[in-house]
Amino acid sequence: MQKLAERPELNFSSKEYKDSYSRINAIVIEGEQEAYENYGQLAELLPELKEELIRLAKMEYKHKKGFESCGNNLQVKPDLEYAKKFFADLHGNFQKAKAEGKVVTCLLIQSLIIEAFAIAAYNIYIPVADPFAKKITEGVVKDEYLHLNFGEKWLGEHFEESKAELEKANHENLPIVWRMLNEVEKDAKVLAMEKEALVEDFMISYGEALGNIGFPTRDIMRMSAHGIR
Amino acid sequence: MFGLIGHLTSLEHAQKVAVSLGLTEYNQDLDFWCSAPPQIIDNFHVTSVTGQVIEGKYIESCFLPEMLISRRIKTAIRKILNSMALAEKSNLNITALGGFTSVIFEEFNLKENNQVRNVELDYNHFTTGNTHTAYVIARQVEEVSNQLGIDLSRSTVAVCGATGDIGSAVCRWLEKKNNIEELLLVARNQERLNNLQAELGRGKIVSLENALPLADIIVWVASIPKGLEIMADTLKKPCLIIDGGYPKNLDSKFDHPDVHVLKGGIVEHSLDIDWKIMEIVNMDVPSRQMFACFAEAILLEFEQWHSSFSWGRNMITVEKMERIGAASIKHGFSPLTTF
Repeated sequence: MQKLAERPELNFSSKEYKDSYSRINAIVIEGEQEAYENYGQLAELLPELKEELIRLAKMEYKHKKGFESCGNNLQVKPDLEYAKKFFADLHGNFQKAKAEGKVVTCLLIQSLIIEAFAIAAYNIYIPVADPFAKKITEGVVKDEYLHLNFGEKWLGEHFEESKAELEKANHENLPIVWRMLNEVEKDAKVLAMEKEALVEDFMISYGEALGNIGFPTRDIMRMSAHGIR
Repeated sequence: MFGLIGHLTSLEHAQKVAVSLGLTEYNQDLDFWCSAPPQIIDNFHVTSVTGQVIEGKYIESCFLPEMLISRRIKTAIRKILNSMALAEKSNLNITALGGFTSVIFEEFNLKENNQVRNVELDYNHFTTGNTHTAYVIARQVEEVSNQLGIDLSRSTVAVCGATGDIGSAVCRWLEKKNNIEELLLVARNQERLNNLQAELGRGKIVSLENALPLADIIVWVASIPKGLEIMADTLKKPCLIIDGGYPKNLDSKFDHPDVHVLKGGIVEHSLDIDWKIMEIVNMDVPSRQMFACFAEAILLEFEQWHSSFSWGRNMITVEKMERIGAASIKHGFSPLTTF
């Protein structure tokens, strides 16, 4: 009988592990940096919620510091240039939406897509992380659920007038997520993170958020699978 | 509120259902289904003949038997745990694990996982539904043999999959409540077969190919994702086959007037249910027929027995079968007895 909790034997100090970690760790650090900046910019678009958004931004900054220490702990230098390119399309779409004052699109990109992406990655990473990173990541993932909740709450309160823009933003941005997941597949595998598990976890968190906002199941299934190949 | 966790018959079936529901995004290959999360796709009410009304939800696990056939065990396990987490998050009092989902749960000992992401699983909220399934199959043996004029006291009954949860329970019932002439125990694991034989104090351990030609009644409850190959001309005539496997496709393999194949472990409710799922899984009378394991969750909700009534391997006693059987009758369910 196959054992269930079979933990792959990982050598956290092997060259191969550290090489992949330099990109994955950078993606996580850059992701938190993006989130920090994005919440700061959202505070400009939603001045009435400035205080809360600044609080969220500060949490993201703290996460970034935590993940930097995970890299240091394994003596890995994060490849931040790679990570910037990795996020470039989502970053560009957020900036464009912000310039046009599109709060709904900005929230979809940051509070739903990036948060769900982070939650999926952290959930799948935790069981296979080194003990130091495990502890840090467990703390972070709890916060990320709160951030997802912020987006859900605002979009839920403005559901009817946001619906069409959410559909459009989903259409434009979800294929980028699938491309990002494909790009990271090999490195994630070295860290014992399976792409299909990442996709599934992303679809769970993202789908749940769409449901909490007010979309019916049929729309959730359609939207959360859009562009996946 | 109660829940049902189920899955579709095959990848081909899943793709067809996706298209028919207008979900073209889901008309994709097995890799896609391996990543697809569980969804609540049906909400419905069930009315008891006592007048009590309860509400239920159906969770499509997106598990497919091809995942077991291609040994994607980790994927299969994830499907089940994620479905259970969804049930838990949806505050369902009691949820039945249908089809292969309970087999995977037991086989891979998923009870060790009580934390799925940010959700804590409480196993008191889940049941395999196997007690009711075993009860229904045993009753089908009794009622339909009578209908066909097969005298149980002069019959040989072969239970294929005898050491499984359902198979062993059916053996216990047949042994205790009937006076059958010969009980043939068929399964792969010799040690489990010996244990069952010792427990029952009777029964002959026989290989599948030797058992089938001897049997007046074949109870097929083996939990394997592949179909069974039997030649009709090697069987006794008449022969009653209770097909408790999944998918239930044995009837398509025989075309002989004296070989009678009955869909096993199916119950019929006496009142209509406003659900869509039984149409999707091709029940003959979708508004009334269902898998007995699903009906167990319904019965537990009616009776407010919010506990894992069926759990663990080979724990089903005749007393428990009688208890769920009485609830089944009380609320208007009866075993399927028509072909």
